Amino acid sequence: MSEAEAAAETAARPSLATVGLSKAFGGVTALDSATVTFHHGKVNALIGPNGSGKTTFFNCVTGMIRPDAGRTTYRGRDITRKPPHRIARAGIGRSFQLCRVFPRMTVLDNLLAAVQPSSLAGQLARAGRREETERARGWLSRMGIEHLERAEARQLSWGQQKLLELAGVLMSEPELILLDEPAGGVNPALINRICDLVRELNAEGRTFLIVEHNMDLVMSLSDHVVVFDRGRPIAEGPPSVIQSDERVLGAYLGV
Amino acid sequence: MPSTSLIFQSIVLGVLLGGLYALLAAGLTLYFGVMRVVMIAHSAFLILAAYLAWYAHRETGIDPLLTLVATVPLFFVAGVAMQRLLLTRLRPATLTMMSVLLTFSVALTIEGLLGYAFSGTQRRIRLGYSSAGFEFLGARIAAVKLIAFGMAALALLGLYVLMKHSRFGQALRATIQQREAAQLLGIDTDRIAGYGFGLGLATAAVGGTALALDTTIYPSLHWHWIGPLMAIIVVGGLGSVPGAAIAAMTLGMLQSLLQLELSTTWAQTVFYVALFATLAFRPQGFFGGRLAQRF
Amino acid sequence: MRKGSELPLRAGRLRTSTLLHVGALLAGVAVALSFPSMAPSPYEITVGIAILNYAVLSTSWNFVGGFTGYISLGHGAFAGLGAYGTGLLVTKAELPPFAALFVAAALVAALAVPVGYAALRVRGASFVIVSIALVLILLLVFQSWASFTGGSRGLVVPRPFPGMLRSEHHRTFYFLFAALLGVALLTWWIIDRSRFGMGLKAIREDEDKAQSLGTPIFAYKLVVFVVSATFTSLAGGLYALWFGDLDPVFQFSILSGAYMVLMALLGGVRHLYGPLLGALIVGYALEYSKVEYGDTPLHLVVAGLLLGVVVMFMPDGVIPAATALLARFRTSGETSIREVTAAELKERHGQGNGTDESEVRNSERSGSGG
Repeated sequence: MSEAEAAAETAARPSLATVGLSKAFGGVTALDSATVTFHHGKVNALIGPNGSGKTTFFNCVTGMIRPDAGRTTYRGRDITRKPPHRIARAGIGRSFQLCRVFPRMTVLDNLLAAVQPSSLAGQLARAGRREETERARGWLSRMGIEHLERAEARQLSWGQQKLLELAGVLMSEPELILLDEPAGGVNPALINRICDLVRELNAEGRTFLIVEHNMDLVMSLSDHVVVFDRGRPIAEGPPSVIQSDERVLGAYLGV
Repeated sequence: MPSTSLIFQSIVLGVLLGGLYALLAAGLTLYFGVMRVVMIAHSAFLILAAYLAWYAHRETGIDPLLTLVATVPLFFVAGVAMQRLLLTRLRPATLTMMSVLLTFSVALTIEGLLGYAFSGTQRRIRLGYSSAGFEFLGARIAAVKLIAFGMAALALLGLYVLMKHSRFGQALRATIQQREAAQLLGIDTDRIAGYGFGLGLATAAVGGTALALDTTIYPSLHWHWIGPLMAIIVVGGLGSVPGAAIAAMTLGMLQSLLQLELSTTWAQTVFYVALFATLAFRPQGFFGGRLAQRF
Repeated sequence: MRKGSELPLRAGRLRTSTLLHVGALLAGVAVALSFPSMAPSPYEITVGIAILNYAVLSTSWNFVGGFTGYISLGHGAFAGLGAYGTGLLVTKAELPPFAALFVAAALVAALAVPVGYAALRVRGASFVIVSIALVLILLLVFQSWASFTGGSRGLVVPRPFPGMLRSEHHRTFYFLFAALLGVALLTWWIIDRSRFGMGLKAIREDEDKAQSLGTPIFAYKLVVFVVSATFTSLAGGLYALWFGDLDPVFQFSILSGAYMVLMALLGGVRHLYGPLLGALIVGYALEYSKVEYGDTPLHLVVAGLLLGVVVMFMPDGVIPAATALLARFRTSGETSIREVTAAELKERHGQGNGTDESEVRNSERSGSGG
């Protein structure tokens, strides 16, 4: 199989997909029978106005919230209603809207906590063996925060915490990475850095799904964009198409 | 099989007791709602109020009900102070756990001080109308029990009106349901939370006075109250005042009915059975509370 | 402690700190083991036993409290069950005393599974409520079910070594409690440095986050809860065999659970020796005041105030407080670049950033649409 053929095949493969996913909080519908497919090997983006259900969508597909109805599959396997740690172990990693690290653990331990042993002996083995530590240091230096490995995570600046969170997610070796507002509250230089990282990691074979309000970032970074409004997708396609879609403008401008 | 009139009497007593439980559980729910705090000292304050009523009666001979004039505002202020001076100073990340310890330490301190001031002796108020009562459809009901229920019902009604029909109540409910959203609406949620705490403690003042009317009190009595009350708020769905009220009535009635067949202590286990069953099978509680899902 | 081994310290410093650590440990063990032969009278040995008992209890408590951050106020229940389980198995089932001790511990471990299931399925508040409820319900049951448990009259547990002199009995139990403490500390230490321990600490920091990284949080919490209950039960059972007389009011006392929390918190829940240190301080103070002032309600006031002070002003305990103080002395002389950076970072972002964020995270948990 040539490289081009391989690329074409991956392009067609679905990564995360939902059918009729619904969730209501009290009387408020957050997800309204959302049916959507994201593509394997691509940088997918999920956009929409505030309250359109993007974060609820993340929380439902990662098992943090139980959907009221609907199904979620990941690469053909049903992951609906699986507990979050199973979904994580199936290869889906995520960041949180407001960056979340383990504040009172060291930077290095933040990464080591993402190593999931499978056997009982593995559970009781010492944390931070050489190869794990080396791998963790590798991710830290890739993020450019390796000099902080002994600091407690809460001592880091906001931007450094964002990078640390991403490093932690990568340490759990996900195939699909969900990023909830990676550029939120981050300075322009760091936004560029995060964009570069996403491109590099994508080139290495990782699939991304990004929720983001920064439209420049979304349009320059993603291959495939899905637009949510009132808990369901109203448009999808490549960035160039989405930019000129009237429904999208309508949703954002409230027309 | 107990006779019908005995069962009827138990039901009536259950309702009367349930009213008191409902009021106290409402207080506990308020704390949890505004601060996500399980206030262990609630029942210690309850017993404190009962002691104050008893002491005032012993020293001056006044009717214990009159102590409400002093204890309700006093407890309100104490509640606000406790929230402002103690609870808001805890680290937000560990607030739920540390606040339990802090309120627990307050409970121990109150219990110890009561024991020191009044000794461990059991105390009881003797009133002119203590033994008064009347027949109602074959059930004999003590007047003091009815008065206690009336106080609880009035206080609960007042709380309801305040929550539903005042601006403060609106702000309080907004704070309970969506703290950030309430802040965006310009509500000073910290101040409101303080008042919520004060209100909660005021229910303990009312409850304690009601309790003093017909119950023997001693310093460690509060442990017998906090368990059932916590069970009630869990069964009702943490954070839901109506849920807590329904759970209080139901469990109070069940306890009263079980006392027909079992001893008082065994009957009390109904609360704990309900608590464990709720957490094992329906952790969000039976009567609502959305808050419960995550706590 | 654990940190020393994984940090890229210079070999010399590493070796010195390890040597110091091992030396201090050996000295501590030597003092503890020679205490009975140095004690002027059997009374001092009983004080030693009481303190060791507290140390085992609070170390056992710290499996849950220290690793996961879940505060159990009802661990007295497991101690009481261990004590009554052992006592009843000896008197009613006529098991040999030490077989009874372990069978009781196994039974308590089995009971801890459904209790933990109810307590840990939802977070935080429910756990505390269940833990307190457990003590209260067991107190009711053991008082009411007098035909089986002896009720308020108490339960007399025969001595395990009938021919032994009183002083020899105390001496033996001193070493038994010391051994149990050793095992509990060793287990805590193994978990602390393991991946399992890392997962538990991640749970303490942020459960959602830990779960999203693949940690099976419910299973982890349940396992460590059962381990904790088992050790607590062993301490209770050993107490029953030593003391020989059980009363539900003392066995299922909310206060004994509170002491465990106080000791662990005072010493420092993140440290292996934290609960032991707390037990030494509080345990000694308790025994001393019992002799000096008798049994007054002021006990409660002092315990309550002390707990309140610890929670408000040093929730991390005396060990970190002392370490911070030491570090301040040390850094005044020495100015490495890294330390300056860390200090600056702390000043600039530390407290503010950390707390703000966790505040948001805590209150945002209901998770509405984005």
